[in-house]
Amino acid sequence: MNASLLRPALRVFDFSLGQMLWSRRSVLLGLLVGVPVVLAAVVRLFAASNQLPVINGAGLTGPTLFGILIWMLFVRFIVPVLGVFYGTSLIADEVDDKTITYLFTRPVRRSAVLLGKYLAYLACVVLLVLPSVVVVYFLVVPIGGHIGESFPSLAADLGMLAIGLAAYGALFAFVGARLKRPLITGLVFAFGWETTVLLIPGYLKRLSVAYYLQALVPHAMPQDSTINVLLQAFQDQPSVLVSLIYLFIIVGVSLWLAGRAVETREYVLEQ
Amino acid sequence: MTVRTRYFVIVSLLVIFVGLGTGLVAYYVGFPTSAFFTRNGPEELRFLPSSASVIAYADVREVMASELRQRFRKSLAPEAQENGQHEFQNLTGINIETDIERVVGCFDATASGSAGMGAGVVLARGTFDNVKIEALMREHGAKVEDYKGKRLIVADRFSPPFPVPDGNDSTPTPRVPPQNPETFSLAFIEPGLVALGSTTLVQHAIDLHVGGGESAATNEELVSHVKALEGGNVWALGRMDVLRARAKLPDIVANQLPPITWFSVRGRINGGFQALLSAEARDDESAKNLRDVVRGFLALAKLQTSSKPEFQRFVESLELSGTGRTVALSLDVPSQVFDLLGAAAAPQLARPQQ
Repeated sequence: MNASLLRPALRVFDFSLGQMLWSRRSVLLGLLVGVPVVLAAVVRLFAASNQLPVINGAGLTGPTLFGILIWMLFVRFIVPVLGVFYGTSLIADEVDDKTITYLFTRPVRRSAVLLGKYLAYLACVVLLVLPSVVVVYFLVVPIGGHIGESFPSLAADLGMLAIGLAAYGALFAFVGARLKRPLITGLVFAFGWETTVLLIPGYLKRLSVAYYLQALVPHAMPQDSTINVLLQAFQDQPSVLVSLIYLFIIVGVSLWLAGRAVETREYVLEQ
Repeated sequence: MTVRTRYFVIVSLLVIFVGLGTGLVAYYVGFPTSAFFTRNGPEELRFLPSSASVIAYADVREVMASELRQRFRKSLAPEAQENGQHEFQNLTGINIETDIERVVGCFDATASGSAGMGAGVVLARGTFDNVKIEALMREHGAKVEDYKGKRLIVADRFSPPFPVPDGNDSTPTPRVPPQNPETFSLAFIEPGLVALGSTTLVQHAIDLHVGGGESAATNEELVSHVKALEGGNVWALGRMDVLRARAKLPDIVANQLPPITWFSVRGRINGGFQALLSAEARDDESAKNLRDVVRGFLALAKLQTSSKPEFQRFVESLELSGTGRTVALSLDVPSQVFDLLGAAAAPQLARPQQ
């Protein structure tokens, strides 16, 4: 990455970060990351006077519940939603607001604009999602668990979520830069395609981001039945290294394609 | 970047790094679950012998304050419990509800106890009226000795301080001195910590307090098993092989016992009762056989209790697990089960004795 791309990208990042953080879309983001914190606080209060329920015959503990929250709320919902809403809007918002001309008439490469906005997106979502995860961790894990013992899983989760946000953001940045109605396509991909292919046996699931993210998640649902153990043993899952390589490839290729799309596409502003 | 954005970035990064830093410190150093509980178990392990065959722990304060205990207190003969506690308090000056924080006890099968059956000691942490306890023990014939600068209150032989009722007979049972009397002692090891039990082990606890040396806390194998019990407010663990060897059981009985080396029970009493019973077998094959036996008993119990809802829920909560040499049985009994059991037992308790 040369200086002609990076320096203007950092300038765009600088003003885009504030724009993104204090936009109306951030209300949605705040609500999304606030829900798990509220949920964790409620669980903590509930656990102070009651015992947590039993799932699949196994007692629910704080670390297990944290794993469930990470997988069900963050990985399967919050991360893709943020990726779709922010990623697709990086360029589409400027087109809708008819302000793209001001950016593209600057003496900088168009792809630098996209890169700067992508970095701003990444900083914005990482700075909101990761503190939320940390707060949830300290609220939930002490219920029948230990902060120290579960710390490696927290560190792994934070890394995994940051990579997930980067991958979804890059993918949907490309969708936003390439397609005219990117939001619908993004939602269909995140909640239609990704959910479906994970359930279909075969190689189709390799064409999803969730498949590689799943391999990085060190949690599992509480289970103790033999069938569940067998299902897990036979589950087709790539290794952590392979998943990381594929996720970085997804980020790199998506950003490159998004950059190319922005450089070559002619944006027609509707009057 | 505006000032508002800059503050936001700083606060977010602060939350992340403080969280990660705290987690990292907890991971490497370990946060004690209480001021007296380290990652290697309760602090009192330092005063117990390294050759202890059984060690037990109870967080008395937590158990007494638990919802389950409060339910028991209300439902099962509350007046009798109150009277019993008052009687104990009058005799010892100790209020079990408020004065004792926790107790750690051990049984050493290799120590010289009565009739060569080993000896035991209990270390209780809490708030004690030293003068009253000493006076009460002296009233019952105990003598005060000095042992390495500590006041050791020694009773000549182990005898209950008040008459024990014998069945329906209201006359006190005559105290028959044991053939090999083992003296019973009490000593205040340090402020708020009392040791009571066999004189040999109480003296050993004082030795360890004064001069250090090999204790349960330095027995790595034992400590590794204690670590696994962290999280329970009551637990016990022991060496089954040592106990079996000292028990001098007839061969026909000894051969029927499963080849278990270590056993442990970790319990958590709060709204209900959760427990994990673990046993470490001699080898994988023995553990597999033991699991099969327990599985069989579980199936039988489920069959037997299918028509008894008060027991059914309890039996359903039993879960068998374990790999390799370990066999574990977990149970999770919600407080409602105790209510059902209490309701089932109530008519029997109310029935006049024949």
